[in-house]
Amino acid sequence: MSVMDLLSGLQSLPFPTLVREDGSLFPWIESVHVLAITVVVGTILIVDFRLIGLASRGRKITEMIEEITPYTWSAFFIAVCTGAVLFSSNAVKYAGNPPFLIKMGLLVLAGLNAGVFHFLVGRDSEQWAHLASPPWKTRIAGGLSVALWVSVIGFGRWIGFTMH
Amino acid sequence: MLHALSVWLGRTPLSTLLQNIDWVIPSVQSVHIVAVSIVIGSVLMLDLKAFGLVGRSLSLAHYAARFGPWIWGAIGVLTLTGVTLVIAEPDRSIENAIFQLKMVLLLCLIAELSAMTVPLRANSVFWEARGRRWLLFALVILTLVTVVGIVFAGRWIAYSQ
Repeated sequence: MSVMDLLSGLQSLPFPTLVREDGSLFPWIESVHVLAITVVVGTILIVDFRLIGLASRGRKITEMIEEITPYTWSAFFIAVCTGAVLFSSNAVKYAGNPPFLIKMGLLVLAGLNAGVFHFLVGRDSEQWAHLASPPWKTRIAGGLSVALWVSVIGFGRWIGFTMH
Repeated sequence: MLHALSVWLGRTPLSTLLQNIDWVIPSVQSVHIVAVSIVIGSVLMLDLKAFGLVGRSLSLAHYAARFGPWIWGAIGVLTLTGVTLVIAEPDRSIENAIFQLKMVLLLCLIAELSAMTVPLRANSVFWEARGRRWLLFALVILTLVTVVGIVFAGRWIAYSQ
């Protein structure tokens, strides 16, 4: 059984079929997906601008991360769930859509960037978390995160123009 | 009248130019959504602070000073990109009831945020007065409902032509 057979089977299930064929279910789920993504990106940018040294320069970085990330993760969870439902409604077509595949790749890169920051760059954060202008490795991680998440939004929007 | 405006706008050279370059609308929409994200992230921080859920060692006036310029700057970008999208696709927006609702909600959000943050410029503890706490909480709920409404209306414009 090929991947395409699996995807075809997935989109033939009752709920994905309902989402695809019902006139208003897809836009409602898509609206929640967009709202969740804007919360994810909006809260991540607040932390990123602090990492770069652009804003909140007087606040301790680790304190900000502790405060904001629970909201980011909650919104990310909703974005993944709604995104999975949207994908399942037309899995074969999404799997062959270049902007969708690029968006998924960018999400993996954003996750890797966050992981590298958390486990490598952030190890000695007590030494620089209070600095108005953090060290270059922290600013690079913040800059990369901004670029990746803005690109996620860009390619996400492009999906809608290339699925017809 | 709105129909005439939409037809006239759609025939202007700028509208024709924007319609004929494939990447313009998706790119402008992407910038529009990034600006929406900045507004939502900043409003969320203000609202969480008003509820005492973040920045306990800092004042609401501090949060308003930190996020206010980003909110107003992002609303400026939203206006510029929004106007560009209306010029590019007037038939998709001007006569569309959901688009009109989105504009009303945007004006409501501007009024709510102004009511929340402007008094703090003159008096940083304005909302600390006991009788005003409920009004602040009401404004917080209103801003949350309004931004959710703006995002939903924005997405539904595409489905309501």
